[in-house]
Amino acid sequence: MTGAIERFPPFRWTAAVLRRLGLGGRVLVVAVPFLWLLVFFLIPFLVVAKISLSEPAIAMPPYLPLVEWDGARALLTLNFENFAYLLSDPLYLNAYIFSIKVAFISAIIALLVGYPMAYYIARSPEPRRSLLLTLVILPFWTSFLLRVYAWQGFLRSNGVINNFLLGTGIIDQPLVMLQTDFAVYLGIVYTYLPFMILPLYANLVKLDESLLEASADLGGRPLVTFFHITLPLSMPGIIAGFMLVFVPAIGEFVIPELLGGPDTLMIGRVLWNEFFSNRDWPVASAVAIAMLIVLVVPIMILRSVQADKGEAA
Amino acid sequence: MNETVPVALRKPWAGGSEPPFVRIQKITKRFGDFTAVEDVSLDIYKGELFCLLGGSGCGKSTLLRMLAGFETPSSGRIEIDGQDMAGKAPYERPTNMMFQSYALFPHMSVEKNVAYGLQRDGIGRAEAHDRATDMLKMVQLSQFAGRKPHQLSGGQRQRVALARSLVKRPKLLLLDEPLGALDKKLREETQFELVKIQETLGVTFIVVTHDQEEAMTLSTRIGVMNEGVIVQVGEPSEIYEHPGSRFVADFIGSVNLFEGRVTEDKPDYVEIGAPDLGGSIHVGHGVSCTVNQQVWYAIRPEKVRLSRERPEGRRNAYEGVIDEVAYLGNLSIFRIRLANGVLVRATRANLSRYDDEALTWDEKVWIAWDDTAGVVLTR
Repeated sequence: MTGAIERFPPFRWTAAVLRRLGLGGRVLVVAVPFLWLLVFFLIPFLVVAKISLSEPAIAMPPYLPLVEWDGARALLTLNFENFAYLLSDPLYLNAYIFSIKVAFISAIIALLVGYPMAYYIARSPEPRRSLLLTLVILPFWTSFLLRVYAWQGFLRSNGVINNFLLGTGIIDQPLVMLQTDFAVYLGIVYTYLPFMILPLYANLVKLDESLLEASADLGGRPLVTFFHITLPLSMPGIIAGFMLVFVPAIGEFVIPELLGGPDTLMIGRVLWNEFFSNRDWPVASAVAIAMLIVLVVPIMILRSVQADKGEAA
Repeated sequence: MNETVPVALRKPWAGGSEPPFVRIQKITKRFGDFTAVEDVSLDIYKGELFCLLGGSGCGKSTLLRMLAGFETPSSGRIEIDGQDMAGKAPYERPTNMMFQSYALFPHMSVEKNVAYGLQRDGIGRAEAHDRATDMLKMVQLSQFAGRKPHQLSGGQRQRVALARSLVKRPKLLLLDEPLGALDKKLREETQFELVKIQETLGVTFIVVTHDQEEAMTLSTRIGVMNEGVIVQVGEPSEIYEHPGSRFVADFIGSVNLFEGRVTEDKPDYVEIGAPDLGGSIHVGHGVSCTVNQQVWYAIRPEKVRLSRERPEGRRNAYEGVIDEVAYLGNLSIFRIRLANGVLVRATRANLSRYDDEALTWDEKVWIAWDDTAGVVLTR
């Protein structure tokens, strides 16, 4: 392969040196995002992991160093008390379980709402399809925070919905909607719905229509065709969409804070409180690391299942 | 009506009391402003292997899809086995279709693909399995039952698609370009296999194809389509030897067409003045035409004889020079340039391995044909 660049000696020499070092064009292309992740993900993560293993202190920063130097020896102190503390206080475990529950149910609701929408968009004629997709992405053009705030205006006891229902005489007591779990579910489903729709759409739009015709031709009624052909073939889209909603929803802080009640204890809120109210950075870091483990394990399992399937398929 | 005699010998279309199995009556299909199929009427008989032949976009696939129930006719009526198909969904019709793309379910094994249709009819798992296994044995794919479609070759996939469409024993099997994706050798094998299956099972086949050779080998009858209209229906030899129009003559096989005017119109012969040939053509039978009418004379290349000397006692003989020779192994194709520059195609069987006398480039030759070898076309 000799491109135009290779004709200039300086470039050719550089390319030759890089190749000698085992850095071909392909390696370099991969190396850039790899470095980015290293600097902006892995290193901060290691910092957090380090803090989670250190002892809290009233200092600046509010924890003791991991390695101490007494003049001749380096003393490494690993403090697992923070993790033990998470187990000793049921607050944390409850917050984890509740977060997973909220995220899971929200993802299911988003799937049930998003699937028909994605299906409809994918089956629409070309010009309308792009319009509908734009509408799905449109909410992202305004601030996420603003949109969640707007829901407060809808849900509060003298908000739009209650005023309407009271005005038309359907109810005579305002419904309590704000600061409930219901509001949290609503907020999460509303916010993350596009993340469900887009991967589902990307999958469903590729679905070969002749497969549906073949199923109908062989005697499959529409519902049968859906469950035997469409649904199994859209599984990768379902899994992708589910993960894109489920994973960020677990750590969600803004929505439970703005829409949830005082007892809506999701892990994101606990994390915030530990960091900013208690200023207990080591425990907060331990909460974050534990959450990561809680999340990574199911994703790893899922990935290996998918990899097996990929080999079989 | 004697069912044991093959339909190709019974020829119910030539007359008789046998009712047609598929009745297509004045079917028209429009997509917006575009008319894909226009006023098509067609009767197809039980046990036939009927080919719809035409170029791409001629409406043949649309017609097939209307039979399967994937498209609704804009007007007209389709009857299959005496039943009106109007308002019937694909899953309610006694038809099965073999798709051009095969449309095998990628997430199911070969056996599950074949058993799918049976299970939709409420047939139990065990029986569906047995029947699918039998069907796979017939298409010689038993050892591949557990594979997924993407692990098969093109020819194997095509056989799975055939097995899947046959396993429900449909009254009518619709095949959309069934052999399109196969290489030549596999095609020929499969063509004969299809005919064999069709004869054993007694199913009525309607095949859509753009390949005239495929249509010729397979079918009991061919319906030639052009721009949404059926131009001619007939047995393969009829279509080839008696084309009804220039389009059919040109579409099926290769042909030399000469434009001319009738100069003499007698009950037992016709004389055509053909400026292309620089002379006149003698037709040794009566033709329904009038003097001075514009006609086209169609002659197949294999019916054009070549000789170095002027052939004795032949009226249709013209002189030219060999412009091009293409050696095809079994035969050679010659292109002869006449005095006025018109090119004529002629083929000659290569009867001998060592032909020292072979005609070659730039030789002066005479082309000639029998006075019944060509067809006079009026449109």
